[in-house]
Amino acid sequence: MKFLIAVLLPLFWMGLSAASVTMEVGEKTGLRTWQWNHDGVSLRLVQRLPDQTRAYLQGRGFPAEIANELATSCFFGSMFRNDGSLPLDFDLTTWKVVHKGKKSQLLVREYWKQRLQDQVVPQAARIALNWSLMPTVQHFQPGDYNWGMTVYGLPPGESFDLHLKILLDGKPVEATLSGLQCAPEKLN
Amino acid sequence: MFKTVFTVLIVLLFAGGALATGRGLTPLPDKPSAPAFELRDADGNVHQLSDYKGSVIIVNFWATWCPPCRAEMPSMQRAWEQLREEGIKMLAIDVGEDEDAIFEFTASYPVEFPLLLDTDSSVSEAWDVKGLPTTFVVDQWGRKVYRAVGGREWDAPDLMEKVRALKQVP
Repeated sequence: MKFLIAVLLPLFWMGLSAASVTMEVGEKTGLRTWQWNHDGVSLRLVQRLPDQTRAYLQGRGFPAEIANELATSCFFGSMFRNDGSLPLDFDLTTWKVVHKGKKSQLLVREYWKQRLQDQVVPQAARIALNWSLMPTVQHFQPGDYNWGMTVYGLPPGESFDLHLKILLDGKPVEATLSGLQCAPEKLN
Repeated sequence: MFKTVFTVLIVLLFAGGALATGRGLTPLPDKPSAPAFELRDADGNVHQLSDYKGSVIIVNFWATWCPPCRAEMPSMQRAWEQLREEGIKMLAIDVGEDEDAIFEFTASYPVEFPLLLDTDSSVSEAWDVKGLPTTFVVDQWGRKVYRAVGGREWDAPDLMEKVRALKQVP
């Protein structure tokens, strides 16, 4: 019994308090998922195949050409949760994408509003895209969460590091998720 | 002893990962006024916030394509079945879609509370909604008193009690 407690207690405390990054490959989908955990806060990033995003956007009314531009910009399904005990704030414009030594920003709601303003895209499609993306700035009290897509502005299959920053009870917490990979055009 | 310790540790270890929905309602300390609106439901009936003056209202912002929004709808219906008898109102405001999307949705998720259409998302923005779903509880004086970002189990006793307690406030 002592042995079991010795093994399980550290695991329990790790789950509650330590920062960690895990990666798993979906058994059925073959898509990769990265998850960052820190003091009850978790960010889960799931690869989205370009075809998934094309289908989603065209289903909402985007013309094929524009849907293709977006779909090949590296979308991830993202789940951001605050299951901890402290309030959390994030601002995606402070996060950095590091690709081949160059830093860039995520392509957030405001970017796409600007990018699409002169394009022929139905209003309902613009609204659907806007609300489908993770909020650029958000405040989570304990128990809150959002799902939304995040966009990294890289071609399919490219690898990059993500430097993220949150405020937990007003105090900055930073982390790097290394070796994230945009979904390839097709899975083998 | 061994079994108890083992069970407790296992439950605690996996509890965090098993939380499928969010939890709790966040009190809004300044209790801002809920912005007025006039929206149609899927049947074309017009609803104004002022129609519900004097009642506690749960106002949910959602969309049919949003998985956590769909996931919480059955619990909202169950909560509604209990709360409507007590005079508490529930409204779900769909962001950016039309009647067709709502009709398709309600074929799979039959709900009885009004589903309103915020087709240009102006009401959602006025209410300072940033992500879907977001739900507010509005008191009988038209003030936003609680907020929940992300889905909830709306028929959970602790949530229902918080909503019911607003009716008791003189």
